[in-house]
Amino acid sequence: MAILRKDLIRELRTREMIISMILFVLLAMVIFHYAFSVKEDADLTYFTGGMLWVTFIFAMLLGLNRSFAQEKDERCLDGLLLCPVDRVTIFLAKTAGNLVFLLIIQVVAVPVFTLFFVSRSYVGDLVPFLIVMLLADVGICALGTLLATISMNTRSRDLLLPIIFLPLIVPVLIAATGATTLIFAEGAGFGDLLARVLFLLGFDAVFLVAAYGTYDFAIGE
Amino acid sequence: MKQLVSAPVLFVGAGIFLVTGLLLAFLYAPIDASTMGYSQKIFFYHAPIAETALVAFGVAFVAAILYLRSQDPRWDRLGVVSVRLGLVFSLLVMATGMIWGKAAWGTWWDWEPRLTTFLLVCFLYVAYFVLRSVVEEEQRRATFAAVFSIIAFIDVPITFFATRFLPAGMHPTVITMGGTGMPGSMFVSFFISMIGMTLLLVALIRRDLAVEELKDRVADLKNSIGG
Repeated sequence: MAILRKDLIRELRTREMIISMILFVLLAMVIFHYAFSVKEDADLTYFTGGMLWVTFIFAMLLGLNRSFAQEKDERCLDGLLLCPVDRVTIFLAKTAGNLVFLLIIQVVAVPVFTLFFVSRSYVGDLVPFLIVMLLADVGICALGTLLATISMNTRSRDLLLPIIFLPLIVPVLIAATGATTLIFAEGAGFGDLLARVLFLLGFDAVFLVAAYGTYDFAIGE
Repeated sequence: MKQLVSAPVLFVGAGIFLVTGLLLAFLYAPIDASTMGYSQKIFFYHAPIAETALVAFGVAFVAAILYLRSQDPRWDRLGVVSVRLGLVFSLLVMATGMIWGKAAWGTWWDWEPRLTTFLLVCFLYVAYFVLRSVVEEEQRRATFAAVFSIIAFIDVPITFFATRFLPAGMHPTVITMGGTGMPGSMFVSFFISMIGMTLLLVALIRRDLAVEELKDRVADLKNSIGG
């Protein structure tokens, strides 16, 4: 808890990360717009789910790198490791911190992307949409935190993270993109999404357990 | 590890099984009734290779767990060796899969669950070596590699499951819950090829392990004479 609070306070004081992330999201939107508007009056509704998740995952890469780069540069991590807390607690706090970070990005990105790209209203599906998003977020953050811990302890640091993170996160991307596209484009009921929701739930459970088991080793001695 | 069977015997055994499997595939198993015809014969190579690649990653997974428990460098060596061989086999899966795809579906590549899964598997385990290459300290490298190897292996079935979500796969589902869906003669040929390929993997792991061990010893000796 204290670690999470520390990260949040630090973030609120400096604001550097949040502001650059919001800009990142808006710029991503502009870039996607020009990248995908290949035809006059093209309807991008079908692509919005994909765009969103691509944005989230790449933003997360940046966020993950930063969340550990700070610790490493100021040698805070050593201090954390000396604390009489379980390593797993550090993992959970870091994951929660990254989750907050991702949620802030999403609070900005989802309305903006919806406004510019989605041609139909999906207010009726808001609850399943939020469930899908939250479940996918947990998976992304848990796995991302574990892998970022490893990559921070290596020579190439932030270069390594995408290489090990992206192939592992593909299942989440598939499920989340599929579900959001269904919601945006076709107004899927909860029944249509059930398989994907269960899948995301399973993914989260599996990787939380896996991270729980291996984090001691990942963070190093 | 105890030398129950010597490596050459394993290689010869693998060779015998593989050749027998191949002969059976062409002479004994029926020509596929569907449009695939003769091109289906590559199945007797393609599927055993795929199975063997997964076995190799499974070995690496177990070795990783054992390494984390014991910190014994021997398990790390086994991990590296199996991942490397698994990767070679995976590339072969992709190659044979693409050849078969071209013959059967008329296209080299299709975003089909199994092929896609193997593509991601290749990326994953290439990343494994990238990860190893950027950590200098030996023990730390082995630990990180083990953690990654565990995570990666868990991810493989999940990826496969996820890719299945995508509609319109055109891979023939040969082994389903209800049975193999193969005529007996086909299954015998397939099974013998599978044994042969697995034996080949064991033989290769055995040989590579010996090589890695020698490398480590050479490095130790070099250090001890101050080279």
